[in-house]
Amino acid sequence: MRYIDLGLREAVDLVRAGQLKAAEIVESYISHIESVDREIRAYLTLACDRALSRAKEIDGRREKGRLAGAVLAIKDNIVTRGLKTTCGSRILENFVPPYDATVVERLETEDAIIIGKTNMDEFAMGSSTENSAFFPTRNPWDLERVPGGSSGGSAAAVAGLEAMAALGSDTGGSVRQPAAFCGIVGLKPTYGRVSRYGLVAFASSLDQIGPLTRSVEDCALLTSVIAGFDRRDSTCADHPVPDYLEGLDSFQEKIKVGFLGEASLKGVNPEVAAIYHRIQELVSGLGFEVVRMDFPSWEVALPCYYIIAPSEASSNLARYDGVRYGFRAEAAGLADMYARTRTAGFGSEVKRRILLGTFALSSGYYDAYYARAARARQVITAELQAAFRRVDFILTPTTPEPAFKLGEKQDPIAMYLQDYYTVAASLAGIPGISIPCGLTPDGLPIGLQVLSEPFGENRLFKFAFLLENNIKFKNNMYRINNRGRRKNES
Amino acid sequence: MKVDLEHLSRLASLELNEEERKILPGQMEKIIDWVGQLSSLVTEGEEKYTRLDFSLRLEEDRVEPSLPQAEVLAMAPEKEGDFVKVPRVFREK
Repeated sequence: MRYIDLGLREAVDLVRAGQLKAAEIVESYISHIESVDREIRAYLTLACDRALSRAKEIDGRREKGRLAGAVLAIKDNIVTRGLKTTCGSRILENFVPPYDATVVERLETEDAIIIGKTNMDEFAMGSSTENSAFFPTRNPWDLERVPGGSSGGSAAAVAGLEAMAALGSDTGGSVRQPAAFCGIVGLKPTYGRVSRYGLVAFASSLDQIGPLTRSVEDCALLTSVIAGFDRRDSTCADHPVPDYLEGLDSFQEKIKVGFLGEASLKGVNPEVAAIYHRIQELVSGLGFEVVRMDFPSWEVALPCYYIIAPSEASSNLARYDGVRYGFRAEAAGLADMYARTRTAGFGSEVKRRILLGTFALSSGYYDAYYARAARARQVITAELQAAFRRVDFILTPTTPEPAFKLGEKQDPIAMYLQDYYTVAASLAGIPGISIPCGLTPDGLPIGLQVLSEPFGENRLFKFAFLLENNIKFKNNMYRINNRGRRKNES
Repeated sequence: MKVDLEHLSRLASLELNEEERKILPGQMEKIIDWVGQLSSLVTEGEEKYTRLDFSLRLEEDRVEPSLPQAEVLAMAPEKEGDFVKVPRVFREK
C-alpha cells in the first residue's frame, strides 16, 4: 500500500502514534504529483520544499497536533503567508500575501502540511475551472472533462490523490459541485461557521470556506479544526464548535428526510435522476420517513443569486486598482491607470459579473434588481425554514448533470444553471454537504447534497456518515487512482 | 433589455476591447433578461421574513500592531520612500 492511499484520519493516527513519518508521506505525495499533475493540472503553486521541511520538523517533535502528517491543498483564493496567492487571476499573478488566513493558521497550528495552492475559476467565478487565467484543470475520472468549479483544482487534487484533502470556498456551490463532479465529499458550512479572514472576497454575504475530502470522517475532522469564532471576521459566529468526530457513527434518531418532488427535478439529467431515486429507496429502506417536497421559490433562486453575488462582487473587486498590490498597467494619469489595470488584469467572466453587478446597483435599476433580489432571498430562506419544521434533512442531487466536457458550455447562462441545486442553501446561509452517491453508466460520479438547519453540522455529519456507509461509494476511490496510473503508464 | 455598456464600464473603471465590444452587449442583454425573471415572480411587501440570525460579538476597541510597513510597501507596484506612488492625479492646464 502506498502512503497516498491512506485516508487523512488513518494517516494522522499513524503519525501521531509515531508509526509513520510525516516526511515519508510528503515524499510519496511529491512523487505522485510529479507523475500525474502534468495531466490533471490541479496546482497553480507547489510548496514541496516547504512541506518537506515542515514534515521533518513535526517528525522531530514529541508533541504532535491533531492534523500531524495531513498533507493538504489550499484553494488559491485563501491567503498563505510567503506563498503566492493568485485567485486564478492575472491581476494577482505575483501576489505574495504578508499574512495567513485564519483557516491556514488553524490548520498549521494543528501540524497540517500545505503542499500547494490549487487552480480555480478566476475570483471563484465559474463552475468548471476553465475561467482560470492560467490553464484549465482536468477531472481525474476522465481527463476530457472538467472537475467542476470554482474549487476545481482542490477537488481534482483530492480525487487524483495529489492531496489527502483540500480547502475550497463556496459562494453558490463552488465546493459542493466540484466535489460531486470528482466523486469526493465537500462541505459548505453554515454562513458564519468558518472565518472568512484571509479569504479573498467575492460575495461577502455568501462566501464560506469548506473542506473537500475523501470521506465524511475526514470532512468532520477538518471542520472541527477550522470552524469557530474569529474576532478578525465580524460575520464569524460566536457559536461553540463540537468535536465533530465524536459519535460520528452513532446516528440512531428516527427522522424525516425530505426528497424533491418531480416538479423540482424537471431539469435534471435522467442518469442523475435514476441514482437520486435509488437513494430515496435506500433511505426509506433504512427506516426513515421520506417526505416529498417542492420548493417553488427555487425557480427564482438562480436569478436572485446572479444579482446578489455580482452586485457584491462589483463592490468587492473595486479594490483591484493597481495602487497598493498586484498588477499595475502603465498610464499617464491615475484614472487611466485604474481602468487599464483592471481591463488587462481581469478575464471576461469577471468583467461580465462586475458589469452585471454595477448594473443591478446603478441608479434607476437598484429597486427593480438588487432590492427585489434581496426580497427573493428572504422568500427562499423562509421556505427552507418552513421545510425544516417538517423534516430533519433535505436531500437533493448536487448538480443537474455529471461532469461535462471542456469547452462544452460556451453560453454563460448554461454555466450558471450548474448551480441550480446549490444556490438556495447559499442564499439561506444553511449548511450543505455533497457526498458521492453513484456512478453513471459511463463511470462518472454523481453527488448527493444533504442540507440541514443552520449550525446543524454535527447531525449533518452523522447522517452523511450513515448514508456514506450504506451507499458504499468509498470503495470506488481506488478506481480514480488506478485510472490515473493507467493513463500515466500508457 | 438594452444596457448602456459604455456607461456601466465607466462606472466600473473598465475599458472594453474590440472583441468585448462585439460580444458583451448581446450577452449582457440575455443575462439581464434572465435575471429579470425575478420581477414577474417576486412581488412587493414580502419583507416580513427574517434572515439567518446569530448574535455577533462586539470587539473591544484596542490598539495593537498591524502589518509591518515595510512588508506592505514591498507589495506596491511603485513606491517612493515610505509612500506608494501613483501616476499624476491632476493635469496642468
